[in-house]
Amino acid sequence: MSDFRSRLAGLPVLGLGVSTEYGASLAAGALDPMRLRREHPAYAGFLEVGVELVKGLDAPARAWAAAGAPTTYHFLDINLDEPEDLDAGWLAGVRALCDTLRPAWLCGDAGLWHFGRRDRGHMLLLPPILIAESVAPMAEGIAALRAATGLEVLPENPPGTAFVGDLHLLEFFARVAEAADTGLLLDCAHLAMYQRLTGRAALDGLDHVPWDRVIELHVAGGSEREHDGFAWVEDEHGPELLPDTWAIAQVAMRRASNLRAVVVECERNPIAAVLPLFARVAAVLPTYMRTVSSDRSIDP
Amino acid sequence: MNPRAIQRAIVRMIYDPGFLGAVYGPRALPGLSEPERALLQQVDRRAFTTDRFRRARAVHAIVDEYPASAAAIGLAALEGFLGSREFSAVLIGRGAMALAFGTWLNDQASGVGRIEAAMAGLRRPAPAPPGTGSLRCATNIAPLIVPAGSLEWYEATIAALGPEPLQGLADQQRRPGLPRRSPIRKRQADEHLLIELRPDGGMSLGTASEPLVRLLRFASTPRSRPMLAAEAVARGASAQEAPALLAGLIADGLLVSA
Repeated sequence: MSDFRSRLAGLPVLGLGVSTEYGASLAAGALDPMRLRREHPAYAGFLEVGVELVKGLDAPARAWAAAGAPTTYHFLDINLDEPEDLDAGWLAGVRALCDTLRPAWLCGDAGLWHFGRRDRGHMLLLPPILIAESVAPMAEGIAALRAATGLEVLPENPPGTAFVGDLHLLEFFARVAEAADTGLLLDCAHLAMYQRLTGRAALDGLDHVPWDRVIELHVAGGSEREHDGFAWVEDEHGPELLPDTWAIAQVAMRRASNLRAVVVECERNPIAAVLPLFARVAAVLPTYMRTVSSDRSIDP
Repeated sequence: MNPRAIQRAIVRMIYDPGFLGAVYGPRALPGLSEPERALLQQVDRRAFTTDRFRRARAVHAIVDEYPASAAAIGLAALEGFLGSREFSAVLIGRGAMALAFGTWLNDQASGVGRIEAAMAGLRRPAPAPPGTGSLRCATNIAPLIVPAGSLEWYEATIAALGPEPLQGLADQQRRPGLPRRSPIRKRQADEHLLIELRPDGGMSLGTASEPLVRLLRFASTPRSRPMLAAEAVARGASAQEAPALLAGLIADGLLVSA
């Protein structure tokens, strides 16, 4: 396979999009992605579909795909650094869903999505161990998944309350990107959590980032919590951005020279509650990302 | 340093307060080098306890598959599993928590635990061992020998707990009257059961004859027809009846080609 920078030309510009996962939009008052696309097409250029294979796709995600609207596939059930996790059954399921969704690429938190094997009650999400020895297994898993699906695989920095290791989170992901020769998904809210938990300033370590590899950004609101005197941020995908998240997002949008997609993660909120957030993000979006592809959902 | 060993330790730390304390304690821990442990100790230990409902979610997942066993031993005892070596083995060996719980449960919930552990196993069939030209018990069938009264106690408990077993359990003490095997052999009769995983994912439970259950248990590993015929004879069939008996079990889907 050719190197990432030559493969870049095959990655479409998706613009500003919205995320979902199984059942999220079916809850009372939750955002209906298709309605958002009809009423505010510039805010729903694509749908990032969070997928746990055992659950599959819900009706709204299937409807979006059936309309031919753009998608990305966000995995929720693969430990990229465990070769055993890329088993034939799981890969066959991923390929089948890719046939339905026709995603522009795969992406997702590069962390521990489950302990033991995939099974009931095993799901969690923990960040990777930030040490040099973690880089190669993660990179090998990314390359293997890319080879098995024929799609780019963008690792995302996960959320967490406990980050273990001596590497800065961004240095770790820079090394992974280089070793896997891949692009990156930078989650601005997750990065803000890490910076705060480790006592760093919001923009600390941004020079580690290989900005030309950053293809996608996530922006989401979070809530400050305290437990037993320990302060942390909950990744609740709410409509209110923490100032650190916004500061990171603004820098990232200026520096990511090959940016293709920005997701506002707010899937469980009413449309009216999140329109100001979309407007805020859209206002700083690079100009080339402000057009939206048409399809049957908005151009019948 | 081994990142997977560190990651496994973190999972234990967030589920097991005892292990969390041990990581920050004075003594070395098996499976974790001192540099690895030092790396963990650099993080504020409160960072591993921010999710107040993590253990509750694990308990919920277990109760989903072991409601009657949970009623037998109580929720407080059930939580002890999360600090057990069986739970730790799930992390090391890519195991399934529901199967490991059955192992940990052992005889704590007597025959009721065996019934629910067998169901958990039927939901997760292991790959069949190789064996050309042999027969084995179908992977959707579990033949069980449990103390008499276990099936009745199980069914009564499931009915009493209703559609939300965890809610029912939270309000109750341990459910009394669990049938147990007598320490004096032969004093209390056994009960012989067949559990079937139906194509729709549901379970059918019923009693069966002792010879049939023992024959199917004999066939839990692949056996040749002559071996199965000999076992059938040992269990009371005549030598003339045995071939037709095996043919009937194959026709009924209880015995399948290995």
